[in-house]
Formats: sequence, structure tokens, C-alpha cells
Amino acid sequence: MTSYRLGLGGEINRAQSLSFTFDGRAFKGLEGDTLASALLANDQMLMARSFKYHRPRGVVTAGSAEPNALMTIGTGVRSEPNVRATVAELYNGLVATSQNRWPSLKHDVASINDCLSPFLGAGFYYKTFMWPALFWEKLYEPLIRRAAGLGRIVMQADPDRYEKSWAHCDLLVIGAGPAGLMAALAAGRAGARVILADEGFRFGGSLLSENAVIGGMRAPDFAAGVVEELATLPNVTLMPRTTVFGWYDDMVFGAVERVQKHLASPSPDLPAERLWRIVAKRAILASGAEERPLVFGGNDKPGVMTAGAVRTYLNRYGVAVGGKVAVFTNGGSGYRTAADLVGSGVDVTAIIDTRAQSSDPVPQSVRVIRGGSVIATSGRHRIDGLIFERSGFEEVIGCDALAMSGGWSPIVHLMCQRGAKPVWSEDRQAFLAPDVGAAFVAAGSASGHSSLGDCLKDGAAKAHAALEALGRLVGHLDVPEVEGEYDSSFAPLWYVPGAKDKAFVDFQNDVHVADLGLAQREGFGHIEHTKRYTTAGMATDQGKLGNVNTAGIVAGMRGVSPAEIGTTTFRPFYAPVSFGALAGTARAEHAAPVRTSPLHGWAKKNGATFVESGLWDRSAWFTREGEKTWRESVDREVLNVRENAGLCDISTLGKIEIFGRGAAEFLDRVYSNSFLKLPVGKARYGLMLREDGVVFDDGTTSRLSDHHHVMTTTTAYAAEVLSHLEFAAQTFWPELDVRFVSSTNQWAQMSVAGPKARIVMSRIVQDDISDAAFPFLAAGEVTLRGGLRARLFRISFSGELAYELAVPAGYGEAVADAIMEAGREEGVCAYGVEAMNVLRIEKGHVTHAELEGRTTADDVGLGRLMAMQKPDFIGKRLSTRFGLTAADRLQLVGLKPVEAEKEIKAGAHLLKEQAKPSLANDQGFVSSACFSPTLGHFVALAMLKSGRERFGERIMVWDGLRGAEVLAEVCPPVFIDPQNAKLHL
Amino acid sequence: MPINLLHRHVLEDHISGFETNANPNHLSVIRRPVIFSVLAHAGYEAAVAEALRKADDIASRYCNPSEFLAVSQTAGAGSVAEFLTAIPGASFVDQSDGFVLMAISGPSVRSILSKCLAVDLHPDTFGEGHSAAMMCCHVAANVARTGPNAFELLVPRSFAGSVFDELMEAGRAHALTRGFAD
Repeated sequence: MTSYRLGLGGEINRAQSLSFTFDGRAFKGLEGDTLASALLANDQMLMARSFKYHRPRGVVTAGSAEPNALMTIGTGVRSEPNVRATVAELYNGLVATSQNRWPSLKHDVASINDCLSPFLGAGFYYKTFMWPALFWEKLYEPLIRRAAGLGRIVMQADPDRYEKSWAHCDLLVIGAGPAGLMAALAAGRAGARVILADEGFRFGGSLLSENAVIGGMRAPDFAAGVVEELATLPNVTLMPRTTVFGWYDDMVFGAVERVQKHLASPSPDLPAERLWRIVAKRAILASGAEERPLVFGGNDKPGVMTAGAVRTYLNRYGVAVGGKVAVFTNGGSGYRTAADLVGSGVDVTAIIDTRAQSSDPVPQSVRVIRGGSVIATSGRHRIDGLIFERSGFEEVIGCDALAMSGGWSPIVHLMCQRGAKPVWSEDRQAFLAPDVGAAFVAAGSASGHSSLGDCLKDGAAKAHAALEALGRLVGHLDVPEVEGEYDSSFAPLWYVPGAKDKAFVDFQNDVHVADLGLAQREGFGHIEHTKRYTTAGMATDQGKLGNVNTAGIVAGMRGVSPAEIGTTTFRPFYAPVSFGALAGTARAEHAAPVRTSPLHGWAKKNGATFVESGLWDRSAWFTREGEKTWRESVDREVLNVRENAGLCDISTLGKIEIFGRGAAEFLDRVYSNSFLKLPVGKARYGLMLREDGVVFDDGTTSRLSDHHHVMTTTTAYAAEVLSHLEFAAQTFWPELDVRFVSSTNQWAQMSVAGPKARIVMSRIVQDDISDAAFPFLAAGEVTLRGGLRARLFRISFSGELAYELAVPAGYGEAVADAIMEAGREEGVCAYGVEAMNVLRIEKGHVTHAELEGRTTADDVGLGRLMAMQKPDFIGKRLSTRFGLTAADRLQLVGLKPVEAEKEIKAGAHLLKEQAKPSLANDQGFVSSACFSPTLGHFVALAMLKSGRERFGERIMVWDGLRGAEVLAEVCPPVFIDPQNAKLHL
Repeated sequence: MPINLLHRHVLEDHISGFETNANPNHLSVIRRPVIFSVLAHAGYEAAVAEALRKADDIASRYCNPSEFLAVSQTAGAGSVAEFLTAIPGASFVDQSDGFVLMAISGPSVRSILSKCLAVDLHPDTFGEGHSAAMMCCHVAANVARTGPNAFELLVPRSFAGSVFDELMEAGRAHALTRGFAD
């Protein structure tokens, strides 16, 4: 018999048996088991293959740091790779599969790598795959890519739900072991809002694994009692199965809760995992300490594990990891493990102590070899013996498991994630948590305490200190006495000399001591370089188990203290977090909020195809029966607007209500053109510059009353313009009486454009809208037939007679329907943003395709809007600097192809005829282009060097990306109605 | 020829089909609330806030030191406008169609909302009568506490469908039901 379930003991429910499979074989476990403990109980020690050499591996730990026992859990679309068997909670029907092996875990072809290992040391890629160069792309890279990676990802969409949530508390306690439980209890009793998070499925941490008596109770019973009390406190939130993985600015902690990963039949109404952002006023890190493996020859064989893990399997899960267990230790942990094993009737063959002397109590009849070193282990799929050496004498000992203890390292990751480095303590021979301020402190063994009693006290004391700093009154918490403690001190030994087999430092990446030596010899001495060169500390475990040993060994090789070597950089995430949890509900169509126009429903029933425009869904064109391409629809819409009339949804334009006695003056200063004397009832086109003189945005502003203006902005810059106005009002001119509020959402706004627009609109609007009563650029409130109050503006973007009608959003669809009905005879049609774009290009109106952050008003032909006679306006000062007034700046021009059927595309560059394409010869570029159904050929707006002097010139439109060259004629940018006669119909 | 224009609520397409009875956790959409943006001019901030606080039938929602939303489920737009006209130093504009008003209540309301917004809704920090502008489901919204387990959300109309869907998703585990208030 090798590893087996004991007849008695353990914090498991022996009445509840669970069935599961591993690599197709059926096993039984118990409620309360992890997958690892259940496999061990079934004598399944071989659990994985290592990454590089495909060596057989078992478990090394019983917790989160596990580097070896990674498996795929689940089947089909729900299979999850790289799950650590040591933290996976067993459930009925669990299906686990081993990874990184073929054809089977026992017989893995790629284990040949282990025989080739002399050629596969650190850096072998860099040295080997350099020649012949031709082989790289065709042979080496595909081969390496095939071999790379651990586990296989499923390519189908994840069927599970995920969500994210926020939580707030006075005190966040990370880890529910002895220190964490006492901290939570102390703070909870004091009435503070406490969150206690632990990655395990059961609170208690090491209390569940240790054979101690606290206040007269068994440690696990004591833990259960504390948890029971915490559960009754309404101010305490208990979060089991929750890994706090990151510490971010402003005391925000990231955590992931495995809500349903442990359930055989998860509920469709609950997420599989939930991501938490926990905002804590104070936080205590009670994450405990990690036991370090010893680095000796053959230390990676299945059956070799940390002494603490052996105790955990024994005391918590009632599993003996072997029938004959040897112990190799440099401190008290090994002796405690031996004692617990003997106490449970497990045979301990020997304790090999690296120290010459120690006062640790030796269990009766156990052989102790002091000053000894294990130099090799034997066995393949499980060890069957070891060779130890003492003073030049070697001896073989038979064993089927080996418990090793190399001392303890506090788990300080979270406190080191924001730049602070852990601090080496000569005294404790460990890296301790840095001082990151009083808001976040470590407690218990995470802060370097080693005895259970000290950890309990420290947890309570740190919680009290945190609450006092928050100004809360705290009482006294009686910390019970602990009986049966052991001395966990140790004498550090980073590397056990004389290894006859590979001595692994990083199990997951197969990094052994020789690799670290090679890195030093080849100049990769800095610990960060050593990491990159050897891969020590990479991959899913990020060196949780091996990094401190790496630092110690490198320090030893260089003859310095580990303090000088330091550690690699700690970053979130402490443990792997699924992308699903990070995405939460933000997937597929919910990836970002969607904005819909009040006319969305109207557009839909009129056959709209929508286009994403920022967050908005905008109607792009309206397909009618028989139209096969978007161009057919757009051409029809454009022609119809030019001949009859069309209705376009412009609700997405930004709308800002501006109030105050200083509003006119304010507008005069933010626009480059004049606004001070804009009369009530009038709209005006306005141009805003940035402080540096470049155009920021354009739009119109109408004066509805003396102290009330309404501004429209482009769709894209609605929010930016409002911020710009607020900034200017609050910081530049606080003396001006002006207030703003966005009303973008209040109004459904539609442009009705075309020569028949007035006929149609007069059937809707009750007021007189004749050219005399409501001329071009008139603006004001009107009443619709039926009584609805609305806003009407006579503004045109298309170049046609046009009205913009704004009605309260809820009436938008009804009003649009009414306009379509009223204009049926006139042939009114719906038109989308594509047709609108064609109409404005034909008219030579600019958008952000031209106002793209580099152009001045003069560049785009709007120089007349620079009212330089005004004392000041934003952008005035810098608009006159040399760079912005140079004669060879790019200027807005029109282009038409010399051969009418040729197509011009936006983005193409301009070259003088016969000139070779080069940066030096670049004359400018096409900013907007479209087919003009009105003219029957393509037209374009372009930015051309000194463009306005070059009307009539032929120029090459060079589209290198799409491989086209089109000869075009430079012309004024207004293709339709340059006299603006249509606007004044 | 007079035209008969029907008002349509933006969430009508989202709340359709078989109506169930309200569960303890329920999201209620107010069909036609009256909502005005109220802007306090410099020097009048406190007075405007106080006038709104005292108003009958009008709930005041805080946006920023010089901006409020006046919300009423009982008064008509005309009477609210009349009331606002009488407040010295206040400008206002009707936004009744610009926002969607949703009332969410029930024993799990804080759990549901904590999935949608980052603000601490514990009664010690966000008590009854408290309101503030905040991001809700990535959208700029105004949230008010109207009872121990009751909140009201004002969401920009164009985003309302998106926010509503997210709220219902957040409430799924808590059997959140929804419907128009009428």
C-alpha cells in the first residue's frame, strides 16, 4: 500500500462519497476533498508531466502555489485547462484529464526530451534555431509553437455567465487562517464593515491542517467556531472561494470568486465566476507563509512534496501520502510532519536533517540522520527510495514518499504589486513584506510570525490598530492559548550539494540549478535577466514556490546575501484569472453600451441598415426592394433629396442648452467667429478652435431668447465640447454668468431637406414657415399641427432647402411617421448617414474627416470665420504663429477624375503628374470621397499643398495601399450650387 | 389637418410579452415622469437647492453644485415650469424625454446595483434622500435612495435600453422582475 485514506480523522465528510474520473478512470472521493487529495486517497500519485522535459510529476503542495498538478477539468466547451488539482474542490461527476502528454500520462513519447536534456538547457532556443535562417519560418517556429503552452484552450464561445461587482468595507482581511480569522473577529465585534476573503472553499487556512489545540478546542473546531460567529455578524461579509489577486490605486483590490466552479450542475441564473473590485479603507494581508522545497537531486519525483503538504493531506483530508515516508528537513516542520504521521500510524523511515544539531522532538523509534543530505531519489512514476550522503558516506533508504522542508517564506505578493520590493530579513532568512503605509499591513505568518499563538495575537492586534486609525472604538479581544505548538525555525540551505540528478528550482518550467549557473556564466546575472534566460518564475504559478530559492541560490553562486539579489517584480495577478471573469457581462453585443436614437424604430421599419458610430447605432442607408448594393440605395436617396425631399435622423448631434446673461459674450469667446450680436430667432454656423489655433469642432448655435442659446455639436465631439465649455467657464472666465446642460437625449431631431421640404413641413408645422417668415438660418420654437411644441431651425448640411425639426424624443417616431405620410406625394424618402455624407461632399461641407486635429480654419476654407477684430477668442493668439500661416500648408480643394468612370478613394495621396511616390513628393491626401449621383462621377475633398492656387491643375491620386492611380483635376471644393441659391428658396 | 401624435416610451420594446407579478426585487419604469434640468447661477446655488428641497410633489436630484434634476411623478410639466420660474437665479429646461426614470427596490437591491455602479450604497454613506451623479452600467446616470431598499435611477434615454438590459442581467440571480409603473 502506498498512499491511502486513513480510517479515521480529517475534515472531510465520510458519509458523502463523490464519484469522479481522472484520464477516464473512475475514482471515489469524499465531500471536503480537493481533486489532489482525492487522487492521493486513490493512490494516484502520478498527476502530470512537466513542461519541458515531460518528467512524471505528482503534487508538491496542498495549496495555491502548486506548480505540478495542473489538469484540465470539465469536458467539451466547458473544459478548463491548467486547473491546480490542489485547490480544485471535488464534486460529483468531476472529469479531470492530465495534460502535456501523449499518448498517455504513464507513457509519454515526449519524455525523450528528458534524455536529450543535456542539449536543452536554458537558452537552447537562442543558440540552436539561428541557422539555417530559411528553416525558421518553415520548420522551427511551427515546431516550437506546437510544443509551447500548457493545456489546450477550447475555441468555442464560453457558455457560462460571468459578472463583476463592487464591494466596500472598512477592513478587508485577505486570508482566513489564524491571523485572518482573528483580525476579522476583532474588527467584526467592533462593528466595522469587514470583508473576509479566502481562496479556499473552507475558512481556517492552516488551522485545518495542524494538530494544535486552541482554547481547549481542536484547531479546526476553533476555526469553525470563529466562522460561525462571524456569519452571525451583519457587518461582516464572508467570501470563501475568493482569491484576492491584485492591489490597485486608491485601495481597490481585485478578487475573483468561483461561484459555481465546484457544482456538478450549475444554475443558469448564477455566474460561473464573479470578479470583485473591493474598495477598502484598510486592509490586512493574512495570506500566510509558503513552505520552501529543498533543492536536491531528484527533488521533483512524484511522492516528493513539502512537509506541510504532507501534514495537510494527513490532518485535513485523512490521507497518508505514503506507506513509508522519509523526511528531509532543515527545521522543525519536518519533525512535526514525522510526529503527525507516526501519530496516525504511518511508518516514517527516517528524518534526514541538514543540520548537525537540533532540539526538535523526535518521534519514538524514528531514525534521525543529522548533518545528512539527500542527493538522489529513485523510482519513476513514484519514488521508491533515496540516497543520502553524510560526510562522504552514502546510504540508500527505501521510501514511497518524501516530505521536504526548506523553511518558510511569507506570502507578500499583494503588498509588492505597486512598486515596493520585499525586504530581506537576515534574522528570519526570508523576504518580508515592505512597508507600504498603514492602510495595508501584513499580519500573522505573512508578516514573519512563526508560532500559531503569535499569529492569532497579531491578527487581532493589527485589526484593532486599523480600526483605531479609522477613529473607531475597539474593545479587547481575548486571544486563546495554544497548546501543542512546534518550533518552526529553520537553518537555511538553498542548495543541497552533491546532487546526482537534476535539482529543480522551478518545477513548472523545469528549471534546475545548472540552468541558473549557466545564466550567471553567460552574463544574465541580474535576477530579472536570470528569470528571462532560464524561465524560472514564469508561467501559471509565477514562481510562487521557487522564486525565493532562485534568489537564494543565485546569491550563493555569487557569494552575496539574497538581499543583494532581490526578487523579480511582483505584478497582478496573484493567481490566474479567467478572461471570462475579467470581461464579466461585457461580451458580444454587450461589450459596450449601445446608444439608440429616438428614431431607431422609425429607421428600422423603413428598412435601415445601421452603422456603429461611436456608441451610437446610426441609420446608414435604407434599402428598398430591388436594390442589391448599398450604393444603389445611397444614390437613390441622394438624387431624391436633390429632386424632392428626404428625412434624415440627426438626433445623434450633440445639443447643449446655454443659459445666462453672459452667454452671448461667452460664445463670442469660444467660437472663432462672432456671436455677440446673434439676434434672437437666428442660428449661426460656428467654428471652435483649440488653444493652439487648430480647429476643434464645428456646429451651429441658435439664440432662443436673450439668455438662452442652444448649441449643436458634431456627434463625435458632443461630450468633449461640453467639457470644453465647462472648463472655459470655470477656469478662464468665472466672472461670466453662464450655465450649460446637455439636452442631446431630450430631442428627436430630423433634417428634412430638398426643394420640396417646405411643402412637406408646412403640412406638419402650424406656424408660417414661408421664406419671408422663416428665412435661411431662422430658429425658434414652433407648434406642430396637433399641438406639440417643437424647435425648428432652417439649417442645411446637404446644400438644399432644409429644416431641422426637434421634437421631444418620445414623439420622434410619431413625428417622423407623420412627415413621411405628409410628404408621400412629394416623394419624401428616408436617407441615412451615407447619403448625408455624399450630399455634404457634393456641397463641400467639412466634417471631422477634414477637421482632423491638424487643420486651421484657413486650411479648410473657413478663414472668413476668424473674426480677428474680436479682442480675444480661444485659439486666436496661437493661430497666427508661423507654422499655421505658412504658404505651403495643405488646403481644402475638390478633385474630380479626368476620366469620368475612375474611382477616387479616401486616404489616397496626391502627387504631381509623373512624380515618383515618396514622402518628399507628397502633395497631400484625399480626406473624403464618394460617387456623386448628381454629377455622375466620383468627387472628392482633399488637402493639397497650396491647394487654392492650383485649381485646374492635374494631379495624380496615388493609392499605394489598394494599388490604384487616378489622374484628377483640382477644383473648388463646392460641386453643387456654389451660389447657395438653393438655400434661400 | 391636425395630426395625432403618439408618445412612445423607449423601453416599450424591452418590456413586452407576458407580464408577471412583481417579485420582491422589482424594477419599475415610470412611463411619463416630469423631469427638468435646473441650473443655479453663480451665487444662487444654495438658494436654488433649498427651494427645490422644499418643493411639494418635486424630488430634487443633485447633479453638481449648480445643477439639479427636478423630478415629479405627480405634477404636470406646466406647473413644474411655473414653480421653477419663480425661483430666483435658476434656469431650467424640460428634459422629461431626455431621461428614463426607473425605480428599483427589494431586499437584494444593493447587491444588484453593486454590479452596476462603483459607489458605496451602504446607508451610512448613501442614506435616504441622498442622490448623486454616477456611472451606472458605464453610463452617466443619477442615482437616488428613496427608501431602505429602494432607489431611483435616471438614465439618459439613448442609453436606457442598454442600461435596462444590464440591470435585468444583474438582477437575474435575484429573480428581479420588471414592468411599467402603470
